[in-house]
Amino acid sequence: MDLELLRKTGAEVAARDDVKYLLGWKQGTYGYRVAPAFVENAAGAAELIFSPLCTANLATYLTLVEQLPVPRGEEPDTRKVALMVKGCDSRAVTQLLVEKGIERDEVVVIGCPCPGVVDPALLAEKYPETEEPAEMKWDGEDFLLIRNGEETKISRDELLAEKCRLCRYPNPVVSDEMLGEPVETWAPGEDKGVEEVEAKDVDSRLEYWMDQFDKCVRCYSCRNVCPLCYCQDCILDRLNPTWVNRSVNFSENTAFNIARAFHLAGRCIECGECERVCPANIPLGKINRKLARDVRDKYGFEPGVDPEAEPFQASYKPDDPEDFIL
Amino acid sequence: MSANYEPNIVAFLCNWCSYAGADLAGTSRVSYPANIQIIRVMCSGRVNPLYVMNALQQGADGVLVSGCHPGDCHYMEGNYYARRRLGMLKDLMEFVGVDPKRFHMSWVSASEGHKWKEVVEKTVEDARDAGPFEGFRRRQIDW
Amino acid sequence: MSAMLLNKEKWPEFVGKLTGKNVWAPQSDGTEMRFAPVGENEKVVLDYNNTRVPPKGALFPQTETMFKFEIGSDKVEEPPLDQEVVVLGLRPCDARAMTIVDKLFKWDIDDPYFVKRQEKTTLVGLACNEPGLNCFCTSVGGGPAATEGLDVIMADLGENYFVEALTDKGKALLDETRDLLEDADDDAQKQKEKLSGEAEDKIKRSVETEGVPEGLPGLWDDPLWPRVSASCLGCGTCTYLCPTCHCFDIQDETEGIDARRCRMWDSCMFSEYTLHTSGHNPRPTRKERTRNRINHKYSYYVDKFDVIACVGCGRCTNLCPVNIDIIEILRQVKEAL
Repeated sequence: MDLELLRKTGAEVAARDDVKYLLGWKQGTYGYRVAPAFVENAAGAAELIFSPLCTANLATYLTLVEQLPVPRGEEPDTRKVALMVKGCDSRAVTQLLVEKGIERDEVVVIGCPCPGVVDPALLAEKYPETEEPAEMKWDGEDFLLIRNGEETKISRDELLAEKCRLCRYPNPVVSDEMLGEPVETWAPGEDKGVEEVEAKDVDSRLEYWMDQFDKCVRCYSCRNVCPLCYCQDCILDRLNPTWVNRSVNFSENTAFNIARAFHLAGRCIECGECERVCPANIPLGKINRKLARDVRDKYGFEPGVDPEAEPFQASYKPDDPEDFIL
Repeated sequence: MSANYEPNIVAFLCNWCSYAGADLAGTSRVSYPANIQIIRVMCSGRVNPLYVMNALQQGADGVLVSGCHPGDCHYMEGNYYARRRLGMLKDLMEFVGVDPKRFHMSWVSASEGHKWKEVVEKTVEDARDAGPFEGFRRRQIDW
Repeated sequence: MSAMLLNKEKWPEFVGKLTGKNVWAPQSDGTEMRFAPVGENEKVVLDYNNTRVPPKGALFPQTETMFKFEIGSDKVEEPPLDQEVVVLGLRPCDARAMTIVDKLFKWDIDDPYFVKRQEKTTLVGLACNEPGLNCFCTSVGGGPAATEGLDVIMADLGENYFVEALTDKGKALLDETRDLLEDADDDAQKQKEKLSGEAEDKIKRSVETEGVPEGLPGLWDDPLWPRVSASCLGCGTCTYLCPTCHCFDIQDETEGIDARRCRMWDSCMFSEYTLHTSGHNPRPTRKERTRNRINHKYSYYVDKFDVIACVGCGRCTNLCPVNIDIIEILRQVKEAL
C-alpha cells in the first residue's frame, strides 16, 4: 500500500467542506497497537497508515457515535463521514446500507484493497511486544515487521488472521475512491476451527462451549465493537422484561452469547472483530462463521455484498429448507 | 435418568392454526402425552428465539414451535419468517451443544387434530430420549 | 516474623496443606490465566505475568447473592460467608488494589459482604520479577515487591520461594505449613531485594501524577476529552478488568417464587450506567464517561480517600480493543494542566 497516496487522498477528503471527519488508522501508543484516527483536517491526514496491523473495522463508528438532540436554534450537522475500509469492512458498510442503518449519501468510502491482516494475539505471542511502537508492512507474499530499526521477514501463513485465511472479499465491495490496484483474491482455506467443533458429539460440544462461555465477563465489547450491533436499545440492556439476567454465570452467559450470535445470523460479515476484542479469548468467530456458512450453504444468501438485497431475517423464500420440520 | 422421568415441553402455538388444531384434538377426545405446556402466540413468526432460550433456561427439556402450513398464515407470511429464523436457531443450538431432539417445529392446521397428536408424541419421545436438560439451565446457585 | 524459604519441589505439598480452605489460584483456561478455586489434584502455576481478570472477585465477586427470599413470604436467607479463602500468587498491584477498594467499602458504613469475606481471606502475594509491558505501578505508589494489603509475600528466587508473613493471618498460615519451610539466611534476603530492584528497573512506562488530582476538575471542558474518547467503544473491558473498579448494580432475579437479590459489577463506561428513569442521561456520550473514569481514579478518589484509585497494573491499556492508553491520557492531562 502506497502511504503517500493514502495520506494525499485522506488529506483531500478530510479537507472537503461536506466531510465532518475521516476515519482511518494511525500508529498506536506502543507495541503493535494501531488506533482509530479521527481526521478533521488535511494536516491530520499525515498520521494515517494502512498496514497488516490495521485490524479494526472502522464501520463501527458510523453507528456508534451518539446522536445528541440538536439544541434549539441550531442546525443539525449533516456533513458526511468519510472512512477507510478493507474488504471486510466494506461489507459492513454495505450491510448497513441494506438495513438502512446509514444512507449512501451520508458516507464517503475510501476503499483499501487488503492482502490480509495479522492476528495480533498470534503476533504478540511469537514476537513479544515491546513498548516501542512497531511498524509492519506487506512485502510481496510476506509480512515485514519493523521494530527498533530491525526488519524481520515473517511468512504470511505464520501470522495471517483466521478471518483473512477464509476471506473471499479482500477488495472493498463498495467505495467512492479506491486506493491502488485491487489485490488478487485467494482461495479461502478450510474453516478448521468450526469443523473441529462440528466433529465433536453434541455433549462434548456443550462441554466445550460451557468452558468458553464460563470465561465471559459480560463486558459487551463483542457487541459494541460489532459494526452491525447498533440497536439504540439493546435487548441485553433491557430490564423489563429481563431477557437475559445481569448475573454472570454459565446459564446467562450462554443465553447472551446465543442471542448475540443469533441476532447476527445472516448479517455477520465475518470481520472477526468480536473475537479480536474479547478479553476472555472466547472463540466467538467460530459461532459467527458457522452461522454465516449455514446461511450461505442452505439459503444461498450472503450479507454485505449487494446493497439492494433484502435483509436475511426480514425476508424469506417459499422454498427455504424445511427438512427439520416435523 | 430415573425410570419415571417425564420431560417438560414448552410449546408455542400460533393462534390461528396450531392452537385450534390442539383444541380440535381435545374436543375430538384424541389423547396425547400431557407433558406439553402450551403458550399461545398470535403467529409462529412472533416466536422470538429468546423465548426458546428462556424456556430451556427455566427448566424446559424440549421446545416445540408450531404454526400454519406454508401459504396458510393468517398474516400471509409470518410462518415463512419463523421457518427461516428458527431453522437457523436450531443449527446454532446444535452447534453449541443442545441436542437437536430438544427443539422441534411443525405445521399443524386447525383441522389436523390427529397430526397434533403425532407431533406431540414425537416431541415428547425425542425429549425423553435426550433426557433431562441440564445444559444451560438456570441452576439454583449456591451463593 | 522471620523470612523463610520454600523449596519449589515442595510447592504442590504446600498447596495441598491448604485444602481445608478454599484456595484461589491462577489457573490456565486454555489460553489465559485466571484466578479460580483450585480443585483437588490441580496444579497451581505461578510462572506467568498476570491474569487478565484481576483477583478482586475473591472479595468482591462479579455476581454476589446478597440474600435469597421467597415471593409472598417473609422468608429471607442470608449467605453464610464462612468459608476460609486463601488467594495464592496474586501480584502486589492487585493486593494494593484491595486496600484501595477497602476504603470505599468501609467508608460510612461497613459493607457486610466485603468485610466478612475479607476477614476470612488470606492473601498470599508473589513479587514480580518480570513486570509486563504496560506496568507502571511505581508511578502510583506501588512496586513490584510492594507488600501493602498482603498477608504473606513470596518471591521467586529460582530454586526456592522466599516466604515472609506480614500479618497475624499470614503468620497463622505459615505456622500450619511450618514443616515445609526452612529459615532463610541473609543471602536469600539480599537476593530478594536485588531481584525486586531489578524488576523495578525493568518497568519502562510511567505516569507523572503530580498536580493531576487537583488539576483534573479544571480540565472539565478541555478538548482533550473528545480527543481521547473518540475511538472508545463504550464496552466494559477497562473497568471490569480494573482491580480497583468497584461499581455495582443491584438486581432481583426470580425463578418461580424463588428469588434472590444480587449485586453484580457495573461499568461507568456503559451508556445505561447513568441513565435516569426519565430518559435523561447526565453522561450522554463516551466523552463524559471517559472523563469520569479518569477523574474518578485520579481526582475524586484522591479527594475522598487520599489515594489514587489506580495501581498501575496496565490491564486497561493492554486489553483496550482500540488502544485507549491511560498512560497517554495522563500525559495529555499533564500537558493541558
